[in-house]
Amino acid sequence: MSAVEGMRIARCAIDVREICVARARGEEFGRRVREHGVPLPDIGHVTVHGERLMMCIRPGRYLLLAAPQPDSSAALMPGLWPPDAAPAAVIDLTGGHGAVLLQGTRRLDVLARGCRLDLDPAHFPVGRAAATIMVQVPVMLAALPAGLLLLAPASTARHVHEWLEATARPFGLVPQSSVGMAELCRSSVQ
Amino acid sequence: MSGPARIGAGSDTDAAAKLRFRFDDRPMQGLAGDTLASALLANGVRVVARSFKYHRPRGPLTCGPEEPNALVDVIGAMGREPNRLATTLALHEGLEAQSQNRWPSLRTDLLAVNDRLARFLPAGFYYKTFMAPGWAWERLYEPLIRRAAGFGRIAPPRHGGANAHHGACAETVHDHCDVLVVGAGAAGLAGAHALAVAGLRVLLVEQQPAFGGGARLDASGQAWCDSMCAALRRFGNLRCLPGTTLVGAYGHGVYAALQDSTSEAAAAGRGLRERLRVIRARRVLFATGAVERLVAFPGNDRPGVMLAGAALNYLRRFGVAVGQRPAWFLNNDEAYESALALHEAGVECAGIIDARTHSLAAERARTAGIAVHLGAVVDAVHGGNAVSGLRYRDLRGGEVRRLRADCLLVSGGYSPSTALACQAGASLQWQQRIAAFVPQLAPETGQVAGAARGVFGLAAAALDGAGAARRIAGQLQSIAGPARTDAAPQPPLPPDPEATDLVPLWEVAGRGKSFVDLQNDVTADDVRLAAREGYTHVEHMKRYTTHGMGADQGRTGGLVGSAVLADALGVPVEQVGQSKPRPYAQPVPLAALAGAETGAHFKPKRRLPLHDWHEAAGATFVSIGTWLRPLVYSARKGWEPVLAEARHVRGQVGITDVSTLGKIDVQGADAARFLDFIYANTFSTLPVGRARYGLMLREDAMVFDDGTTSRLGPNHFLVTTTTANATAVLEHMEFHLQANCTRLDVHLTDVSERWAQFAVAGPQARAVLSAVASGLDLSNAAFPFMAAATATIAGLPGRLFRISFSGELAYEIAVPAGAATAVWSALLEAGAPHGIRPYGLDALNTLRIEKGHVTGAELNGNTSADDLGFQRLLKSDGDFIGRALARRPALAAPGRLQLVGVRPVDPARRLRNGAQLVTATEPKLSLGYLTSATPAVAFEGWAGLALLADGRARIGERLQASSPVHGESIEVSIVSPHMYDPENRRVRG
Repeated sequence: MSAVEGMRIARCAIDVREICVARARGEEFGRRVREHGVPLPDIGHVTVHGERLMMCIRPGRYLLLAAPQPDSSAALMPGLWPPDAAPAAVIDLTGGHGAVLLQGTRRLDVLARGCRLDLDPAHFPVGRAAATIMVQVPVMLAALPAGLLLLAPASTARHVHEWLEATARPFGLVPQSSVGMAELCRSSVQ
Repeated sequence: MSGPARIGAGSDTDAAAKLRFRFDDRPMQGLAGDTLASALLANGVRVVARSFKYHRPRGPLTCGPEEPNALVDVIGAMGREPNRLATTLALHEGLEAQSQNRWPSLRTDLLAVNDRLARFLPAGFYYKTFMAPGWAWERLYEPLIRRAAGFGRIAPPRHGGANAHHGACAETVHDHCDVLVVGAGAAGLAGAHALAVAGLRVLLVEQQPAFGGGARLDASGQAWCDSMCAALRRFGNLRCLPGTTLVGAYGHGVYAALQDSTSEAAAAGRGLRERLRVIRARRVLFATGAVERLVAFPGNDRPGVMLAGAALNYLRRFGVAVGQRPAWFLNNDEAYESALALHEAGVECAGIIDARTHSLAAERARTAGIAVHLGAVVDAVHGGNAVSGLRYRDLRGGEVRRLRADCLLVSGGYSPSTALACQAGASLQWQQRIAAFVPQLAPETGQVAGAARGVFGLAAAALDGAGAARRIAGQLQSIAGPARTDAAPQPPLPPDPEATDLVPLWEVAGRGKSFVDLQNDVTADDVRLAAREGYTHVEHMKRYTTHGMGADQGRTGGLVGSAVLADALGVPVEQVGQSKPRPYAQPVPLAALAGAETGAHFKPKRRLPLHDWHEAAGATFVSIGTWLRPLVYSARKGWEPVLAEARHVRGQVGITDVSTLGKIDVQGADAARFLDFIYANTFSTLPVGRARYGLMLREDAMVFDDGTTSRLGPNHFLVTTTTANATAVLEHMEFHLQANCTRLDVHLTDVSERWAQFAVAGPQARAVLSAVASGLDLSNAAFPFMAAATATIAGLPGRLFRISFSGELAYEIAVPAGAATAVWSALLEAGAPHGIRPYGLDALNTLRIEKGHVTGAELNGNTSADDLGFQRLLKSDGDFIGRALARRPALAAPGRLQLVGVRPVDPARRLRNGAQLVTATEPKLSLGYLTSATPAVAFEGWAGLALLADGRARIGERLQASSPVHGESIEVSIVSPHMYDPENRRVRG
């Protein structure tokens, strides 16, 4: 993990799409996805595919995180299925989330003040993902090699960000920067 | 030395670090490491408080958090805080404390007259007296009682307080561990060591700043503690939290602990005072020790009467002798330790009164030269503000003797601290050997060890703690890390001295008040009175007498009260039991519960994608739920700017931000079928490219929510909900999808945050949209009212809906949130030639009231579809949520409140929300009430919506709108709720 002292909060610009697997077509979906070499995460996990992240935090639903691009959702996973017989629906949620990467030696101390999940690396290692309530806001967390990725609804993202900054300050708030998908996905998630 | 009673060095104090403090404005000096109580005792202060009811003078009884008497007000940067425990309050430079519950002074308290009037103030007196005259209760008795009751006073900081500079004074932290060890006495330390060796993640909490508990009070125990603490420090898988008190045990392994962070925060320059820790643990090891209990005898509350163990603590930890000539009254060998220690320190011991006839410890005391009177009990204490002597009685011959003493150190035995274990679900078993209850905890919750389950003595408790830890480690073997074979072994244990068993001793009869609860001034006579009056269950007795209901929860006298009750009932004490302890086990400041969720962080603020634009445009914001919404684009107060915006929409064109609406994407082969079930009206017949108003009922057939649903494809719908119900509607739909429609292929996705949405409304709306929407024919024929389409708006992909909440020709434009500013700006630019201007929530409200559209004020959970005039929407065929109960006769019964419009007869009079609708002849019989009201822009005067009994039948009548709050009653006309364009010509235009 990062050797940043204190905590750094870096904004991430990402496109988010939700893949909803059709009822009783989970196996077909999984087969098609794997045939194309896309690692499908188990529930509560996140995987990396190129410069894309795929998170699964509820059955039959996958969040696909990618760098901002004008492509249609189909272009994200080209050729996976014919448009008229898709085993899953893809819903564009881009702009609906605020994403930040949390790095630094004190990030868990900061998060422990608002998040009730056990984020100790022994229990929430790289590759795990979860949804929870943090400072009264529903959020998603994913443990990546680069740090913890936190997704909050766009309307409350500023509230969460302000809380993170205020809480991190006594621990050493490192000046803000932004990161791209390349850094989020910089090493594979097992 | 700092004070005349300081006779030596204490393990907790630093003789070189003197601290100045004030008590009741009297300057004194203490030492670093002192508590306020130890510093006061060192300065010879005996009286520190007045009692709750009788205002009797009181001094410290204990040396810890179980203290019932020594509560003080502390005045500092945080203001005046009442009920701080002097026995745990760490002394610091400049500490200012004041005694409580006295007037005008601690020494001369006029309300001490209550002590003389005690026969009129027994337990439950307020249930029997002050009954007449009836008027006097609220006007006289209650104010007087309230004024006299309570302890301290709370007051805000004098100059704005620390919060102004440091932010919140408390915070919440979440902790996780495999095993939580509560208490760092011998059992806790040994248990924590064994658990850490087993490779488990251990969290050790201890309420005292230093580890060791009672083991620290003699040299061999202190050495063992030091070695053990050094061994524990080497574990990376063990975390220690001194100064942290576990205050609650809840289900599923959740515990709450309060950590005093004052010194840590002071070092960091923060205003943080307390930290509430929410701990989640797989197992718990309660090593909470035991609390010495008092004995009920006349005068057992006099300043100078103290628990024997407390005297030993004050001597060993703070170097303070609690008296110059102490006497003892006890029934167990452990309490002799304080006598031997004070004697060894050179204090003259008046003698020991032991209720037993034989004791090994008594032999040791006599050998040391201390007089011991076996088989005797104390039945009177002499003195007022301080003990001057006592009277004791031989139990065999009845011979009475007196003893001169300046303090009396009492011990009735030790009761295991069972409160937390009981909260965690432990059952209590009576153990005759120690005359106390011990807890038994389910193994899947954890273990209890050491004195907390009646195993006394350092070595015995440590072995017990290690044994309990091994049982837990055995259960958690599968999750433990590698065993720490390299860990330092536990140091050798010093042997425990042999001891004679105690003889239960609860009460000594005599003249005067014998207290069983010092904090709430409950006497043994009060308990007997409760038993006589039928409060024979310990819980009933507790509530009738307030025994154990104080901040100390009756720790020192709880079992004594039970024993007195048992005696009164003629049953053994184990049959009576103890009252059930509940969280919090220790007082918790409200600030600690609030944590950091204060001020700006009190609740989340949801901001619109265009928040910054609205702010720059001078909007006044309003909090609607958690949303911040533009109320009006003006800083001016009053209706004028609002009505100007509304008039502009009626006359030209306006644009408003409706992004807060809930939006649910519904897809799947069975999407239409599912919506038919969820909504009271039909959606399977809705053509692609069209929208329809939908009415959602609850299971009880009351209207839950409304909104428009658009069909974007054969198996693709977009549901919009009201802002207030956005989350609730999604949960409602998810519940029914997962519980009742499990075979349907439907996905629900909340896309509220994805889409920003604006309404462009007014006669010029089409002209504005035509300029920015490309590739779409917006003519009435091609894109009629309730049409929906994907569209390119200002060059960006979006969706267009022809729906109207304002009653005007209107379009709602949905665009990705990231494109909100670009599209909004393009709309403003395109609308500029038509005079477009933004309008806020208040103007929107004015427009919808005139039109008769309902919102949360009307969809209040008590209105049915028929009440709101929507009966015709309910489909006749097919099932839907609420269908069965919609047929209830009660929903069609006469007298139901129905939606109507209201207008004042005199246009100059205003309507008020909440005004009651009455007839002129029966002004006190409410027929209904106004739900919404606004000045109108479509016509002169005010417009309102109301729920009125048989309202539709009353259209055309005149009633009175009475607002007693404002002292108004005006004549109003009952009209159709559709007060503006009832034929919908404008929305369809």
